[in-house]
Amino acid sequence: MAATKVSHLSYFNNQLWGGNQVLVAVLGICSALGVTNRLSVSITMGLSVSFVTAFSSLFVSFLRKVTPDSVRMITQLAIISVFVIIIDQFLQAYFFSISKIMSVFVGLIITNCIVMGRTEGMAKNVSPWPAFLDGLGAGLGYAGVLCIVGAIRELFGFGQLLGYQVIPLSWYATSESPNGYDNFALMVSPPAAFFILGGMIWIFNLVNKKA
Amino acid sequence: MPESSPSEEATLGPSRKTHNARVLAFMVILSFSCALILSILASALAKPKEQAKDLERSKQMMIAAKLLDYQGRFLIRNDEDKYIYAKYEKDGLLTPGTNKDYATNSQILDIHKRRIIPMLVNEKGGLISFEKAGINPDDYLSKYKKSGYYAQPFKLIYKILPNTVEEKKKNGKAADGYVIPINGFGLWDAIYGYLALKPDGNTVIGITWYEQKETPGLGANIAEEPWQSLFPGKVIFQPDSQGRTDFKTAPLGIKVVKGKVSEVLGDIPKAKNAVDGMAGATLTGNGVTDAYSTVLNAYRPFLIKLHENYLNKQTEAK
Repeated sequence: MAATKVSHLSYFNNQLWGGNQVLVAVLGICSALGVTNRLSVSITMGLSVSFVTAFSSLFVSFLRKVTPDSVRMITQLAIISVFVIIIDQFLQAYFFSISKIMSVFVGLIITNCIVMGRTEGMAKNVSPWPAFLDGLGAGLGYAGVLCIVGAIRELFGFGQLLGYQVIPLSWYATSESPNGYDNFALMVSPPAAFFILGGMIWIFNLVNKKA
Repeated sequence: MPESSPSEEATLGPSRKTHNARVLAFMVILSFSCALILSILASALAKPKEQAKDLERSKQMMIAAKLLDYQGRFLIRNDEDKYIYAKYEKDGLLTPGTNKDYATNSQILDIHKRRIIPMLVNEKGGLISFEKAGINPDDYLSKYKKSGYYAQPFKLIYKILPNTVEEKKKNGKAADGYVIPINGFGLWDAIYGYLALKPDGNTVIGITWYEQKETPGLGANIAEEPWQSLFPGKVIFQPDSQGRTDFKTAPLGIKVVKGKVSEVLGDIPKAKNAVDGMAGATLTGNGVTDAYSTVLNAYRPFLIKLHENYLNKQTEAK
C-alpha cells in the first residue's frame, strides 16, 4: 500500500523536476516566449495549463479502456479543447484584463505540445489518479519555469514585479544624471525568453550532473 | 498495403462493421457530452461575461474621454488644461490625487454613470434625450450595436459632463466633450470603438477600440496605448492647403497613412488630419480610416452645429 503511494507521488515529482517538460523535453516553448514578459500573465498561463493538463489527463485516463485506438487522438483533442474553452470563458468572465493580454495564447493551449504529449504519452496507459498527478506535475513544472522567466523579464525589462516598482525610481537615468540605470529593452521582447530558457537548461544540466 | 483477397474480406467484414459502428457511437456520444458541458458553461457564465464586457466598454469610453488612464487611474484637468491624476471622493467628485490612486470597478462605473450621458442626435443635428425621442435606451443600445448607431435616424452620442460644480458654472450647460461610438470592419472582423471630441466638434480628445479581432502583434495594436496616443489633438475635418477648414464640404475622418505622417505628408495642414500607420497592418489601418469617415460623416450636421455654437460662445466671451 505504502509502496504504491510513493510511486504515485513520483509521477508528480518526476514531472516537476527530473522530467521537466520545458527544461528536459523542450516542449511548450512557443507560449513560454509569448506570455512571459509580465509575471502576472506567466502565473495565469501556468495555472491554466496545469488545469488543462491535469484534467484532460484524468478524463483521457477514465476513457482509456473504451476509446477506440483509431480515434484516440481526436478524443484527446476533444477533451483538451473542452478544458481550454472552460479556462478561456472563465478568464473572460472574471479576469477580463488578463484575458485581453493573453489573447490568442489561451486558445492556443490546445496546441501546447505538453498537453497532448502527456495525454498520449502517459494518461492513455495508466489509471486515472497517476494520470492526474502526472498531468498536474507537468503543468506545474511548466508554470514554475514560466514564473522564473517572467520574473526575470519583468524585473529587468520594466523594473517591476507583479506591477510593483522594485528597482527604485531614483536609480533611473534622467537628463541630470545620464549615467543612471536603464531598463533592459531586450527583456520586453520575446527573444529574451529564449536566452533565459537556454541559460536555465544549462544550469539545470549542471545541477543534475552533480546529483 | 497489400491487397486483401475476397475471402479475407468476407471473414473480416462483420467484425470491422461492428468496430466501425462502435467508433462512430463513441465519437457521437463524446461530441454530444462535450457540447453539453460547453453549452451549460456558456449559459452559466453569460451574465458575468456580459458584466465584464460592460465594464470594459465603460473603461474604454472613459479612456477615450480622458477620464481614466490606461492603468486605471482617474484623470482631471488642472488650471493649465493639463491632465493630472485624480482620486474619487464621495458623490462622484474627482479631486487631485497621486499616481497611486487606482480606481476600483464600482468607482469607475459610478463616474461613468454620472459623467457620461447617452443622448441622441437627430437628422438635423439637434441633441435630444432618449425620453424626448421616446426611445428605450437599453433596447436601442443592444439592437443597433452591430449595424451601427450612425445608420439610424437617431444617432447615439455620449455627452461628457464637467467634473465640478464650479466648472459647470463656468462653462454654463456646455459639455466637456462628446463621445461618438465608432464601428467598422478591420481585416478579420467588425471593430468597435469610441472617439471623444472636444466641444469645438473638431479636435480629438482621444480614441479607443474596445472590441476587435485583428492579428495580435500587428493589427491588434489599434487596441494598444502607444498607437491610440497618436490621436489626441488631431482634427477630424480635413483642413485645406492654407490650413483653413470649410466645415460644410471638408472630408471628415482621420486618415491612417501607410508609414509615418511626417514622411508621407510632412508639415502641411493635412497632417493634422492623419496618423501613422502600423507596419504589417495596412488593411486594419484602411478599415479604421473607413470606419471614421463613414461614421463621422453621418454626424456632420451635429458637428457643424457644435462648432458654430463654440465659435459664438468664444465671440461672446470676447
